[in-house]
Amino acid sequence: MDLVYILAYIILFTTVGTMVIGLVAYAAFKLRDKRKPGKNKSDETMNVDGPLEPVFLERYVPGVTTDPAVQPAPDDR
Amino acid sequence: MEIRKVGRYAWRYGWAALAIVVVFVLLALTYDTVQDAKGTLMILLENGLLAAISSYLLIFLVLLIFRFALLLLYSFMDHLESLYKGRDKSAVLYREDSSLPMISLVVPAYNEGPVIQAAMRALLALDYPNYEIIVVDDGSTDDTYEKAMGVASESVALEVRVVTKRNGGKADALNTGMTLARGEFVLNMDGDTKLSPNALRACIRHFENPKVGAVAGNVKVINRENIWTRIQALEYVEGLAMARKAQSFGRVVNIIPGPLGMFRKSVLQQVGGYDRDTFAEDCDLTLKLLMRGWHIEYEPAAIAWVETPSRLLDLLQQRYRWTRGILQATRKHSQALWQPRKAGINCYILWYMLFEGVMWPVSNILGNLFFIFVFWQYDLSTLLFFWWLQLMLLDVVAAAYCVVIEEEEPSLIFYAVVFRLFYINIIDISKVLASFEEWRGNAMTWGKLEREGKL
Repeated sequence: MDLVYILAYIILFTTVGTMVIGLVAYAAFKLRDKRKPGKNKSDETMNVDGPLEPVFLERYVPGVTTDPAVQPAPDDR
Repeated sequence: MEIRKVGRYAWRYGWAALAIVVVFVLLALTYDTVQDAKGTLMILLENGLLAAISSYLLIFLVLLIFRFALLLLYSFMDHLESLYKGRDKSAVLYREDSSLPMISLVVPAYNEGPVIQAAMRALLALDYPNYEIIVVDDGSTDDTYEKAMGVASESVALEVRVVTKRNGGKADALNTGMTLARGEFVLNMDGDTKLSPNALRACIRHFENPKVGAVAGNVKVINRENIWTRIQALEYVEGLAMARKAQSFGRVVNIIPGPLGMFRKSVLQQVGGYDRDTFAEDCDLTLKLLMRGWHIEYEPAAIAWVETPSRLLDLLQQRYRWTRGILQATRKHSQALWQPRKAGINCYILWYMLFEGVMWPVSNILGNLFFIFVFWQYDLSTLLFFWWLQLMLLDVVAAAYCVVIEEEEPSLIFYAVVFRLFYINIIDISKVLASFEEWRGNAMTWGKLEREGKL
């Protein structure tokens, strides 16, 4: 048995072994990710599909205001 | 002192030379086997499918060798250029302390409690006369904000601002920091990163060239404690010393790493800051800069020490996000893929990213499965061996070169063999599956890693 043949067997076993480990580890990672408690509750905005709301700015909605300065004066009614 | 330094160089060069000699001796020892196997390879051409896969793998190997040769050449050219620039004293715009512009350091932090104080203290010790620190607590659920405030209150000479906001993701935190920044230049980093004291001085010099919009720093692994983190240390060294250095020679660095990237603030504003529609906001921003014609350079002397995942599942989680994020960024700028005349070098950058992100892992797995099948079916053990040997040869040569250029630990060269034998198959499988999920459009989340506080 020459050197190449022996090394080829070692490579064969490690390649098959690491590929199996790769698949099992990936499945384990996905499972862990799925089981993470309250994943979306605390971190909704991290999801690209999740709600994205402005952080600092209040959205302006015309016609609806609570500011007393722009409320119609009682005499105007 | 000088003798010790020369001794260290000789030690490093010696190990690099020895590693290359060993792999070439291994190659020479197998010469007879190649001669014996000459006639047997015709089996691969008897079947149409086998012939097609063999041809594909041959093309892939040619591309791979071309890639390594080109990166090594350009990287070396960049190295020579930086040595020449170091001696060139004609450009002195940002050399005198009085002329150094203000830099705002933006540190986004989400649940970085175990590491934020070490990262901030390293920032307080930076060698630069004119900078401010802005820590953006991105709605952490741990004590990140309190710990950051603790360090901020210790600082007397330097202005440290700590702001907290509702959780909105890293891109949002970086944009918030950019808005608050008062400096002409902004350095964005991660909350788990420790910068080398010279980082600001080393980066700012590149901006003497008005075409340079950003500078990418050198990221190194700090927690080299087990086989996973040591192999990642080698990966980082190769990715930066070879790939990014080569890209820097053409001023087209394709990813400004999250742990250390310095920008002109005006350029960040021009491109609209970070977008929130990908999971690789650093890659996306870099592509936006390149598409607008800005030059991006790499600074090897500006080092960002980071903590890398020390457990397999954490590592896969990180690579899953990187793979999908880079594919998202590539897809976002995909119009440049088909317009070589209009997009110029950016077209090739995107194709290169697809080669690295998709074609390489797919071909590696395909090659392994193909040669295992040929081994089992036709008893051609030599093919599997030579497939592996030529890939390992490229890895060892690249590792030896990078260890010398980056003045790294020579033991990392040994990890090139471990990388090829055990590590890369596991990572490639996760990359291929992540690419498949991205293609299918599966939902994903950021997947925050737990910090171990190794900074």
